[in-house]
Amino acid sequence: MSETITQLGKYAEEVGTKITPLRKNESTIEVAQDRLKLFVTYLVNDVHVRHLMTITGLDLGQNLAIIYNFSKERDTIHVRTSVPKAKPEAASIVDIIPGAILYEMELHDMFGIDFAGNPWKDQKLLLPDNWPADLPPPLLKTTKTDQIRRRLGLEAAKP
Amino acid sequence: MSTTPEQQKREESVGLMEYSTESLVPFGPIHPALKEPEYFKLVLEGERIVNVIPRIGYVHRGLEKAAESRPWVQNMYMFERTCGICSFVHSLCYGQAVEELTMYQVPRRAKYIRTIIAEMERIHSHLLWVGLMGHWAGFDTLFMWVWNDREVVLDLVEAIAGNRVHKSMNAICGVRRDMPENMEDRIVERMRFLTDRARYYRDVIDSEETMLKRTENIGRVSAETVEKLCAVGPMARYVGLKRDVRLNDPYAAYDEVPLDVITTTQGDVHALLRLRLDELVVSANMVAYAVENLPDGPIRVKVPPIIPAGEHSSHCEAPRGEIFYFVKSSGGRTPDRVKSRQPTMANIPTALEMLKGQTLADIPIVLTAIDPCFGCMDRMSFYDTETNKSWTWSGEELRQYGINYYFPERSKKQRDLARAVSSSTNQCLREDF
Repeated sequence: MSETITQLGKYAEEVGTKITPLRKNESTIEVAQDRLKLFVTYLVNDVHVRHLMTITGLDLGQNLAIIYNFSKERDTIHVRTSVPKAKPEAASIVDIIPGAILYEMELHDMFGIDFAGNPWKDQKLLLPDNWPADLPPPLLKTTKTDQIRRRLGLEAAKP
Repeated sequence: MSTTPEQQKREESVGLMEYSTESLVPFGPIHPALKEPEYFKLVLEGERIVNVIPRIGYVHRGLEKAAESRPWVQNMYMFERTCGICSFVHSLCYGQAVEELTMYQVPRRAKYIRTIIAEMERIHSHLLWVGLMGHWAGFDTLFMWVWNDREVVLDLVEAIAGNRVHKSMNAICGVRRDMPENMEDRIVERMRFLTDRARYYRDVIDSEETMLKRTENIGRVSAETVEKLCAVGPMARYVGLKRDVRLNDPYAAYDEVPLDVITTTQGDVHALLRLRLDELVVSANMVAYAVENLPDGPIRVKVPPIIPAGEHSSHCEAPRGEIFYFVKSSGGRTPDRVKSRQPTMANIPTALEMLKGQTLADIPIVLTAIDPCFGCMDRMSFYDTETNKSWTWSGEELRQYGINYYFPERSKKQRDLARAVSSSTNQCLREDF
């Protein structure tokens, strides 16, 4: 186990969570949404884990998981938090890691999560400008391909 | 100088008071300097760029959503089609994430073959990029030379994999084709040739006035900014960050093949040219080493089509930088979620930073410098096509669609009449010729 993971494990215990190894060099840490910014600040400033690879969204039914995928040398660290699907609001980490800006916009487009504090959060990144407001975000499990096709006036896919 | 009240009133009425020195210039989505559609909103002050706002997504095909309804193996070849240049590394990275879930070991020979193909792909991608840089700098001779040499490596790839671009070499836990026999000498000889050519191009870009004037001191960014913006690949290495997945988290056979990670601290577009040409030499040496030390043994392990439940991620060093795949399985025949992040997405914030302070004329060369692949970047979620359910329209159907689209108010009879007239015109035209 590398030094980074040992150090993170100690801090995780202090804040009342734990670090779960997935495979060699890959670990997950569950962090509550209200503690996330504090945790990321600690990660960047004290453990020097500075490279955010991307932010992954997952649809878990009632909740949406947001996974911040960090890497430092050999270690991949997934910082995992979740927001309720009924109220998908999260804090932006752009002020700590400016490189997160496009990933947050992507999650806003694909899962409808609002990142408070992202300067470009009202702008679309990947979806077309004429994306209907009544259509649910496309990557949710409840959104079906045919539903979007119908709403956009495209023909259903032929078998 | 004071203005009289009348003057002031007149200026206000024509809006002169609201004028600022900043102007907004739209760049793209269709622009001669971009080979793929992307839109940048440029705020200019005179000729200098003050701010850039990107708008991507014009070639968004919805691969992540499509992956959720396809079998594991089929996805591997679908993700390979994310990019038309660095195709192999996508299937490799997706495959590695899935292999972690299966708990099967990839045979050593397969790992070496993967390394050979991945490095050949890097050579071909870097050569393509050097050619494009020559093109945008107004030095088309370099473009033609380099693309001619690129054929050398593409021919080798074709001889091994059967295809030039979409190699389809990977399988889950192995590769699909073994190396052809008696190819070692030919590969090693061709790699030596490419090394010599790369050294020659290195001399050319260091001495040719056109290249120096267009690239030196262009696109300077500090190392701290690049680190904060999470840039990957050559875009991180050109300011001195030693960020390379092959070194940091070795996959395939990279822990056995000697690797030399090149970094520079020069930090401009010219440094990127030198860096990529040096990397090309390193890759050529790696291919030669891997071919000469290719171990014997099986190339593939058969894996059942159902992948156990779990979550795993994998990252690889594509020619443009780190790519990342996250895979979640719920124990079925199709994945629950596949997330892919491509290097251009990670490098766009840095490119915007590089553009600030440059002149409008430098945009093509700075944007090309990051080696953008907008087709890759846009891949993710969803919008339109279901590849395995595609269908084609005949010319007549397409024309009918056009008539219905533009004249929805016309009755069927009128539409039939229009169709009859136009097809008889076509008939006449055909008879004339």
